[in-house]
Amino acid sequence: MKIKVTSIYVDDQDKALRFYTEVLGFAKKADFSQGPFRWLTVASPEELDGTELQLALNDNPAAKAYQQAMFQQGRPGAMFYTDDVKGDYERIKARGAEFTMPPTGVTASTIAMVNDTCGNLIQLIQLASYSR
Amino acid sequence: MSDREQYTPGPASGAQIQKDGEKWTLILVRELRHSPERVWQALTDPAHLREWAPFEADGSLGAVGTMVKLTTVGAPTPQVSETTVTRADAPKVLVYNWGAQDIRWELEALAGGTRLTLWHNIDRRFISMGAAGWHICFDVLDHLLSGTPLGRMVGGEAVKFGGWQRLNAEYATQFGIKAPNWPPQAAQES
Repeated sequence: MKIKVTSIYVDDQDKALRFYTEVLGFAKKADFSQGPFRWLTVASPEELDGTELQLALNDNPAAKAYQQAMFQQGRPGAMFYTDDVKGDYERIKARGAEFTMPPTGVTASTIAMVNDTCGNLIQLIQLASYSR
Repeated sequence: MSDREQYTPGPASGAQIQKDGEKWTLILVRELRHSPERVWQALTDPAHLREWAPFEADGSLGAVGTMVKLTTVGAPTPQVSETTVTRADAPKVLVYNWGAQDIRWELEALAGGTRLTLWHNIDRRFISMGAAGWHICFDVLDHLLSGTPLGRMVGGEAVKFGGWQRLNAEYATQFGIKAPNWPPQAAQES
């Protein structure tokens, strides 16, 4: 058993694909559709065969309520590890993304929070042990 | 070997694309050796649909105004679409929606059979996948009505099948588009 795919709800799959590839820098991995259903995933270019993130259309009222509450409370919908959170912050910000928290030192890590424009906050984490 | 193991779909054929700007409609034509009445039943009756279609219906699609829930088969999470039948002229014309997409069937009596035409406005990026999927569904439908059922082949099960992958590539070539990225290989372009 492996953790090969995890999901995040998005309000618009095309908009999400643009944000997760062009702004965050991930690569599109799978894109398949059957009728109204679209299976869309991205992966890190540093690890193309690694864990995939499914960009799932949020057409579920219960999931929408959960997503909105998480967003309002400032809780991340997903967390990504990086070995250069400041560099990623500058790069992603330069592409027009809105950070709700710049790189901030917390216990044993530095974190930043970015709005994915699709209903979620995404936390970037650099563990202190990864620091250069 | 069972019929299913021996089954290999024929070459891509009988498909056209109607283009209205960014909105594309797939048009598929298939001649079946079964009467329009029998084909109509297979298109509308939930027990028949379950044997060949890419969705399950919780009620008959055979009457105008009926609200039916269609569940896409093979999606990893339940994908339910509320569907309204907007036209049902048995055994000739059947129109309903599948999510935001429109499905229109026309049945024309032929000597000893039916010419079945499907219009389906699939997102143009996935239109060759849809053509390949329906092609296989029509083969399964034909076998079902002939009394030699192959068993439904849809969703993830279909796309793992070499015949589907070949059809997807063949239809993409016929439509002059790039075959979609499936099975997934990391694509650098977005």
